[in-house]
Amino acid sequence: MAMTDFTIITRSMTARMFSTVTTVVTVAVAVGLMLLLLSLRKAGEEAFSRGGGNMHLLVSRDSSAMVSVLNGIFYANAPQRPIDWAKYEQIISSYPIDWAIPTQLGDSYRGHPVMATTREFFTKFQPDPSRPWALRDGRFFDKAFEVVLGSNVARRTGLRLGEKIVLTHGISEDGHEHPEFQYEVVGILEPTGTSHDRALFTDLESTWIIHAHDRRLRENSSAMRTTAADLTPADKLITGLYIALPTREGSRVPAVLQQVFDMMRRDTSITVAQPGDETRKLFEIIRNMNLLFVGMAGVVMVSSGISIMLALYNSMEQRKRQIAVLRVLGCSRARISSLVLTESAMIGLLGAAAGIAVWVVGSQAAAAILKDVLGLVVTPRLDAPTTLIIVLATVALASLAGIVPSIAAYRTSVARNLRPIG
Amino acid sequence: MDSRVMALGIRDLKFRYAAGSAWVVDVPALDLEPGEQMLLTGGSGRGKSTLLNLIAGLIDPVEGRVFVGGTDIHSLHGAARDLHRGRTIGVIFQTFNLLHGFSAVENVMTAMMFSTIPRREHRARAQQLLAHLGIDRPDANPDRLSVGQQQRVAVARATACDPVLVLADEPTASLDPENAVTAMDLIQAICREKNAALLCVSHDPSMKDRFERQASLEELALGEAAPMPGAGTGRRG
Repeated sequence: MAMTDFTIITRSMTARMFSTVTTVVTVAVAVGLMLLLLSLRKAGEEAFSRGGGNMHLLVSRDSSAMVSVLNGIFYANAPQRPIDWAKYEQIISSYPIDWAIPTQLGDSYRGHPVMATTREFFTKFQPDPSRPWALRDGRFFDKAFEVVLGSNVARRTGLRLGEKIVLTHGISEDGHEHPEFQYEVVGILEPTGTSHDRALFTDLESTWIIHAHDRRLRENSSAMRTTAADLTPADKLITGLYIALPTREGSRVPAVLQQVFDMMRRDTSITVAQPGDETRKLFEIIRNMNLLFVGMAGVVMVSSGISIMLALYNSMEQRKRQIAVLRVLGCSRARISSLVLTESAMIGLLGAAAGIAVWVVGSQAAAAILKDVLGLVVTPRLDAPTTLIIVLATVALASLAGIVPSIAAYRTSVARNLRPIG
Repeated sequence: MDSRVMALGIRDLKFRYAAGSAWVVDVPALDLEPGEQMLLTGGSGRGKSTLLNLIAGLIDPVEGRVFVGGTDIHSLHGAARDLHRGRTIGVIFQTFNLLHGFSAVENVMTAMMFSTIPRREHRARAQQLLAHLGIDRPDANPDRLSVGQQQRVAVARATACDPVLVLADEPTASLDPENAVTAMDLIQAICREKNAALLCVSHDPSMKDRFERQASLEELALGEAAPMPGAGTGRRG
């Protein structure tokens, strides 16, 4: 194979390996960061818009609609103020409701929230409106003290069907346990890509029984056994209500939504939220932050361009003799400067390619962190046009950065750089 | 090539660094026929290397012309001059000036990049030439070759494109006496083989026996270069 400009450039890059690698890494980090933020922005929006699924309204007694959504859908905290059963019955009888699913949060298993609810949670509610719940293993709960695991819980705890577990009252580690009430794992869910993947699901009655047992122990320490028969209306507490309103065929937005929402809001004893609205608001906050981050990533990209320029410009001193030799061999000034410019563009291209690798690793890490910390399931994806634009912009930026060094190369005096130095 | 065309023809060449200063180079006439070899001597000063730079078209003269292979190199500009230099002149440096990070064969092939030699022949020709010059490890990095071998790689690179003129600037100054003898034998032999004229600049006294034609820069200025028979007819641009 004959020597080509490309070989000369690669030789030049490998001759100064440390500088080349450092510069490529600088570009890669900038590109990776940019891609990461762009992809997370999209994935974040998707993740936030799921979760609420096909419910139209979320009722709770949290301090605000936003808190209610964060607690009730994203499992941020256990709601502090419960709704009693009478209120629940009043709500479902007062409004035109397709379905209303009572939920109660407050217990946990090794830090994973436990959602106590009814079978309808699996038959009516869909966290991702396009997909019904699916079981990877086992069945949904049928009776008290049976538990179904979200996919993440199953993965992280390694629990299997038939295993017996004890729940903790309260989300925090110092909550107390009820060893006398054991739950049996009867089902493991397929991933839904929503916050619900990190929860365990059981029926309301079991939870009520445990708390009734606590109450009875406080009243009379000799109480040994508590059953459904011992429940009083005061034990039957819930913390949230997933509500769907009737929709006409082919429509996803109920005609009565706004009307019902406004009516419910007049009831000051409850907080009512339209999950879609709240997640949009939440996302607006994040979007602005995200723009800031994307801007910062842009600045990092520009500074990586400057570091390409510095690296190439600083290498000119070492290269002067090589440039002079090439000129003697017949290489023109223009070709010399195009070699430098191409080298700069290649550093940009390599950096962009490495940046995509950085993105692959970084997005996995970011997704894992978001899932662990926020319970937010994101699947960062890059669409081809965005990626292409970023890659091309990087190469363009790198070429721009190569201009000054390439002018320096153009001006290199041959006669002055061929004599032995000193 | 027409045998009447000189490998090198210099007419009224004058150069100085600043107006009003003394001429650093003042050569009324100098011709080298194809295959002719000449030694240019003289104490150290900038004159000899400056003359070589003028001949190679790396700096422009104040006055006069330099014909290489019949073409006035200073009448060419930019890329055309660089190409003409690459194709007609081979330069051997005191410090070899091999390209770092390039293997021996790559150093030679780089010279061919700017020639009219078909690309697919580059490697074979470079390997052949290196083997001919006694380099048995053409893929080695020159840093790993002995000094004598490095000089051979440089000689191979200078002659790879069959130049009409080889300029050798103190080619033995970096070598021990033994290697110097070998290197000069090689340079003179390959130039003869390729019918390339050789203009060798050196202040090494042992060179004197090697060249029939010799002059110092001062002698050139005084018109030593009584044109050889048939000289002086180099085409004027």
